[in-house]
Amino acid sequence: MLAEALDHLVRGIVDSPEDVKVTQKNNRRGDIIEVRVHPEDLGRVIGRQGRTARALRTVVNALADEQVRVDVVDTDRRR
Amino acid sequence: MSSESVSEVTEELSGEAAAADEQEEVAVSNSAKRLDEEGDVAADYLEELLDIADIDGDIDIEVRNGRTYISIVSEDEDNDALKSLVGADGEVLEALQELARLSVLTSTGSRSRLVLDITGYREGRSKELLKIAQEAVAEAKETGHDVALEPMSAYERKIVHDAIADLGLVSESEGEGSNRHIVVSVES
Repeated sequence: MLAEALDHLVRGIVDSPEDVKVTQKNNRRGDIIEVRVHPEDLGRVIGRQGRTARALRTVVNALADEQVRVDVVDTDRRR
Repeated sequence: MSSESVSEVTEELSGEAAAADEQEEVAVSNSAKRLDEEGDVAADYLEELLDIADIDGDIDIEVRNGRTYISIVSEDEDNDALKSLVGADGEVLEALQELARLSVLTSTGSRSRLVLDITGYREGRSKELLKIAQEAVAEAKETGHDVALEPMSAYERKIVHDAIADLGLVSESEGEGSNRHIVVSVES
């Protein structure tokens, strides 16, 4: 549910919703949800001084039973 | 934490740029249709989130004074899931409002100043804020000294500034970021 909720929240605020990919991973320390968007939407999802990313984290954690990490992945930099 | 754009708007409202804001108000009132559209977009965005999270809530949209107000309420007083979307000190509520505004920007291309309320949090809080303003004004008048209030979000500071002005005193915001707070002073 958390990944689906985040997917919806992100799709609604980007120009290329079809390029939004949200994946949930589990490790011993807890859940991590990774968000990937079109490189041109990266600024939109992070926001000025990371404000939008912080808002997304706040909402996802309000829906979660336990603390969840939300990472916005910069796919450009990984290449 | 309050958002920067909100605090800019609020400082304009309470500060020198009031004329600019009046102009903006006129432009906004000319486009009631845009405000309706804004409400629909944001309500759809929020409604789908409630669906995904399986949270019950009724969404109301209201346009008044050139602004769109969206409120999510529940008939069930003990709707803890909906209350979790308010969060401590309205933190989650502010985040959701921010995202709802962005969803409007993305889908219409226009910036939104919509106000989101959940379970009447803002309504209840604004009554508290009026009381805080009244007590601060009384104290300032009685002692003749400035009275500093607790830090508040831009939205809340706007409510308190207005209340203090109505009561005939002057107030200013001081401090930066999460420490930004109102200081009430007795007019000299």
